[in-house]
Amino acid sequence: MALQCRLSGATFQSLKLATIPISSSSSRFIFRTLPKTLNLALFSRHSAPKAPPFSVLIRTLSAPAVAAAPAAETSDIKVVKPQWNAAIDFKWIRDNKEAVAVNIKNRNSNANLELVLQLYDKMLNLQKEVERLRGERNNVANKMKGKLEPAERQKLIEEVFYFYGWFCELGKNLKEALTTLEEDLVKLRDELQIEAQCIPNLTHPDVPIGWEDSSKLRNMVGSPRKFDFPVKDHLQLGKELDLFDFDAAAEVSGSKFYYLKNEAVMLEMALVNWTLTEVMKRGFTPLTTPEIVRSSVVEKCGFQPRGENTQVYSIEDSDQCLIGTAEIPVGGIHMDSIVAESALPLKYVAFSHCFRTEAGAAGTATRGLYRVHQFSKVEMFILCRQEESDMYHEELIKIEEDLFSSLGLHFKILDMATGDLGAPAYRKFDVEAWMPGLERYGEISSASNCTDYQSRRLGIRYRPSESPSTTSKKGKTNVAATKFVHTLNATACAVPRMLVCLLENFQQEDGSVSIPHPLRPFMGGVEAIYPKSR
Amino acid sequence: MALQCRLSGATFQSLKLATIPISSSSSRFIFRTLPKTLNLALFSRHSAPKAPPFSVLIRNLSAPAVAAAPAAETSDIKVVKPQWNAAIDFKWIRDNKEAVAVNIKNRNSNANLELVLQLYDKMLNLQKEVERLRGERNNVANKMKGKLEPSERQKLIEEGKNLKEALTTLEEDLVKLRDELQIEAQCIPNLTHPDVPIGWEDSSKLRNMVGSPRKFDFPIKDHLQIGKELDLFDFDAAAEVSGSKFYYLKNEAVMLEMALVNWTLTEVMKRGFTPLTTPEIVRSSVVEKCGFQPRGENTQVYSIEDSDQCLIGTAEIPVGGIHMDSIVAESALPLKYVAFSHCFRTEAGAAGTATRGLYRVHQFSKVEMFILCRQEESDMYHEKLIKIEEDLFSSLGLHFKILDMATGDLGSPAYRKFDVEAWMPGLERYGEISSASNCTDYQSRRLGIRYRPSESPSTTSKKGKTNLAATKFVHTLNATACAIPRMLVCLLENFQQEDGSVIIPHPLRPFMGGVEAIYPKSR
Repeated sequence: MALQCRLSGATFQSLKLATIPISSSSSRFIFRTLPKTLNLALFSRHSAPKAPPFSVLIRTLSAPAVAAAPAAETSDIKVVKPQWNAAIDFKWIRDNKEAVAVNIKNRNSNANLELVLQLYDKMLNLQKEVERLRGERNNVANKMKGKLEPAERQKLIEEVFYFYGWFCELGKNLKEALTTLEEDLVKLRDELQIEAQCIPNLTHPDVPIGWEDSSKLRNMVGSPRKFDFPVKDHLQLGKELDLFDFDAAAEVSGSKFYYLKNEAVMLEMALVNWTLTEVMKRGFTPLTTPEIVRSSVVEKCGFQPRGENTQVYSIEDSDQCLIGTAEIPVGGIHMDSIVAESALPLKYVAFSHCFRTEAGAAGTATRGLYRVHQFSKVEMFILCRQEESDMYHEELIKIEEDLFSSLGLHFKILDMATGDLGAPAYRKFDVEAWMPGLERYGEISSASNCTDYQSRRLGIRYRPSESPSTTSKKGKTNVAATKFVHTLNATACAVPRMLVCLLENFQQEDGSVSIPHPLRPFMGGVEAIYPKSR
Repeated sequence: MALQCRLSGATFQSLKLATIPISSSSSRFIFRTLPKTLNLALFSRHSAPKAPPFSVLIRNLSAPAVAAAPAAETSDIKVVKPQWNAAIDFKWIRDNKEAVAVNIKNRNSNANLELVLQLYDKMLNLQKEVERLRGERNNVANKMKGKLEPSERQKLIEEGKNLKEALTTLEEDLVKLRDELQIEAQCIPNLTHPDVPIGWEDSSKLRNMVGSPRKFDFPIKDHLQIGKELDLFDFDAAAEVSGSKFYYLKNEAVMLEMALVNWTLTEVMKRGFTPLTTPEIVRSSVVEKCGFQPRGENTQVYSIEDSDQCLIGTAEIPVGGIHMDSIVAESALPLKYVAFSHCFRTEAGAAGTATRGLYRVHQFSKVEMFILCRQEESDMYHEKLIKIEEDLFSSLGLHFKILDMATGDLGSPAYRKFDVEAWMPGLERYGEISSASNCTDYQSRRLGIRYRPSESPSTTSKKGKTNLAATKFVHTLNATACAIPRMLVCLLENFQQEDGSVIIPHPLRPFMGGVEAIYPKSR
C-alpha cells in the first residue's frame, strides 16, 4: 500500500498531459505528437493558411500544444504500469462516494478517494473523446472514398485543390491524434487502477469501528487452567524436553528460525493430520500447494510483496516470492476462470509451509515459537455465491471453535474492529487462546470474509443459473451476467502457536506434557511427552 | 564450481603482486604501498640517497616495483574473498598429489591441482617471510631498549617503521594468497572409495536388484493420467499461479503424502534416528559448506532477494549445519537424524529430460536421513543407510535396483554414492528415487564439525599430565528415506488396477485412516 501511494506521485506527473480541459474541438491534440520536422514542412508548404477548414486548429497550436512539455520529456516520464487489473466497480464507487469515504476513514486506509474519482472522471471524458475522434476519422475516410453530387464534388475538388494536403494530413493527423489519445487513455487507466487498488474492501455493518481495542468479544470458550505448581513457558519446556533448537537455527539460517525435534515433530505431524481429517469430514477438499508463487498472485490476494516493510520473501532474479499463507495459492487455483454455479461452494483445506520476513516485528511478543519466519499451517478457503459468504463465515468460525475446544484450549473469539482489518477483509474473527507460560492471550487463528475483494483481482466469477423467466423472453436464451465469487479464509491450525498452547496448557508438575486425546491416534498412541532419560 | 573457477582468474591477477621472487632482503616491499605523496616527500627529503640503509631498495624500485601496476590500479583489483574457510589438508594434498590428480581426472572435476600446489608453495614461502620480518622487527625493537646515540636511535626508528610497513603489506598479501588458495582448493572433490567404478554414469555397478517388474494384463497408464482421472493433482493451475513444474496435490494424494512422511519417519525413528523438521531458508554459506553452489548461472538453488539466504534443495543442508562449528563428544556419536522438509530446486538446465509430471518438480517434500559418525565407521553406516532404504522400498512392494555410482556421477562431496532406481511402469523405465552418500570429512571440514577421540590410557599417563587427544573431523552421510513425488509416481504407476483405482500399500493404510485404495470420484 505504502509503495503504491509513493509511486502514484510519479504517475500523476505523467498524466498531467491528459488533464487539458476538454474543449469542443476534436482536433486540439492533432499536432502535439507530430515530429517537429513534419510540422515545419507543413507550415512552409501552405504558408500560413488564412481559412483553414478547422478553425480551432490554430487555437490549439498556439495554446496547449505549445504549453505542453517537449516531446522528449514526455516520453521519458515513467508510467507505473500495473501488472494486472482488478475489476473495480468505479461507477459504484462514484455513486457511493460518501460511504466509501467513511469506510476508508474507519479503516485507517491511506487510499485517496478524491484522486480516484478525479481520475475516473478524466478517464470517462478521455474515453468519450477517443470515441468521437474515431467517428471523425471514419467520416474523413468515408468522404474521401464516397460518391458525391457533381456540385458537391466540384466544391470538394476545389476544396481538395486547396486543401488536399490538409485532408491528407488531417486523416494522418487524426490517426496520430487518436493514437496519442489512446496511449493517454491507457496511462490514465493504469493510474486509476493503481490508485483504486488502494481502496479497502467494504465493512460488514456489525464490525465495531475503531482500533484493535475496540474489537468486540463474540464469545469465550473454557476458562484458564489453574496450576498448583509454578508454570513454565514453552521455551523452557521445549528445552527440558529437547523439542526444539533455536540456537543452531540462528547460526544456520538466522534468528526466529528453529528446528523441531523429537516429539515436537510427531506433534506437528499429528496436528496437521488430525486437522486435515477433521476439516475433510466437513466436506473440504484437501490440498498441498506451491510455496513459490508469482508476485502478481500475492498482490491479487491483497498482500504487498514489495516495499521496505514487506512481509514477503522474494526470489532473486525472478517475479516469484514465497507464500506467507496458503490463502494465496488456494485463492489462485481458480484464477481467471468462470466457475459453474453448481460447483459452489468450493471448500478447500490446504497444508503448506508459510514464510514471513516479520519485518518491523522486532521486540513485540517474539519469544520462542510465537513469531517465526517459517511455519506449517492448515488453512481453510471457501469460494461461494455472494449471498452466502456471511453464512460460510459463521461456518468457518464454528469449525475453528470446534477444533480448538476439542483440543481442550481456553480461548475467546473477537469480532475485529475496522482499524485491525486488512484491505481485503469485509469482516474478520480472531481466535485468541490462553497461553499460561506467556501469561496472556495470543492469536492462534483468524477467519476472514473477503467478499469480492480478492475475486475481483483474481478474476474468479460464476454465472448464476438461469431462472425460467429470463430464458423465455424474446424467445432466446438469456445467459445471466457473471458475478464475482466471494472468498473466505480461516486458519484451521497454525502449528507453532498451537505448540505454544499445547505445551504451556498441558504441562504437568513432573515436567511432562500430556497430549490431548484427539491427537493420540495420530501419534501412534503416545499419551505424553516425558523428559529424556539422558 | 564453474563460478569459482571463473572468478579465480580475477584473483590470480591480484595475486601477481605476491609472486615477486623471494629475495634475501626483508624490505623489498617497503615503498610499494606508500601513497604517492608521501613517497615523493620521502625522496625529496633524502635527495637521492647514495647509500640507502637497505642496499636492495633501489634494485626493487627500479625493477619489479616499477614494473608493477600503478598503485590506484592495484587497490582497484577485486580480491575474491571466501565467506568461510574449509579446513583443507594442503600438506596431505601436496604429499599425495599423484593420487589427488588421478582422482580429479576420474571424477571429471575441473579443479586445478597445479595451481593449488603453486599457491600453497607461495603461501608457505610468504608465511616464512612474514615470520622472518617479525623476528627482524623484534630485533630492532629490542635494540631500541638500550642506550643509543640519537643518530643511531633515529636510524633504528626509521628501520622499525619501514619493517612495520613492509610487514603490514606482506601480511595483507598473505591473507589474499590464503583466500586464493582456499577458493582454488575448494574445487578439489572428495576422494573416492576404492571400490567405486571409474567412468561415467553408465559405468555404475549394479549392487543388487529387489523384486521384479509387475506384469500387467491391461493397458497401463502413467501417473499423470492416473492423477487426472483420480483428481489427485493440478499442474495447470500451478503453472498459472507459480510457473511450470509446480503442482497442487489434491484429495487422496495429500493423504498419501502425509502417510508416506508419517510412516517413513516412524520406521526410521524405530532404527534410532532423531526426528527433525528444519528451516527451509538458510544462509548461502551453509549451502556452500555442504558442497552445493548457490550462485552462478546454472545453480539449482533459489536465492532470497536482498539477503544472504537461500532455499534448501535438501534437508541435508540444515541438518549438516545443526552441529556447525562445534566439537561433538565422541560418546554422542553416531548422531542419527531423520528430517522432514520441503525442498526447492530451480532445475535449471533440466528442460526436456524426463520432466513429465511429478518426476522433476521445483518443490517437493522429502524425508532425509543424516548421520555424523567416527571416521572409521562411515563405511559401515553407509551400508546401514542403504539397507534402510532397501527395507523401506521393498516393504512398499516396489521393484528396484541399487547401483554403486561411477566416479563421473559423484558430486564433489561424495566419497561413494548408492542410488536406488525403481521401476516406473507408466514411464516405462527405472527412475532414481533415492540416493545414499558417504561424504567422509568433505562437509565436516567445511562445516567445522569435529570430535575429540576418547583418551586412551597410554596417552594420559605420559609426562604425568593429561594429553588431550587431537580433534578429528566427523564423517557425514546422507540418504533419502522418501522423496514424495517420485514415490507417488511409483505407487500410482505400480499399483494401478484395471478398474482405474490404485491400491494403497499395506504399511501406509494405518496412516491413511485405513483407506485401502483410491477410486475414481463419482462426479
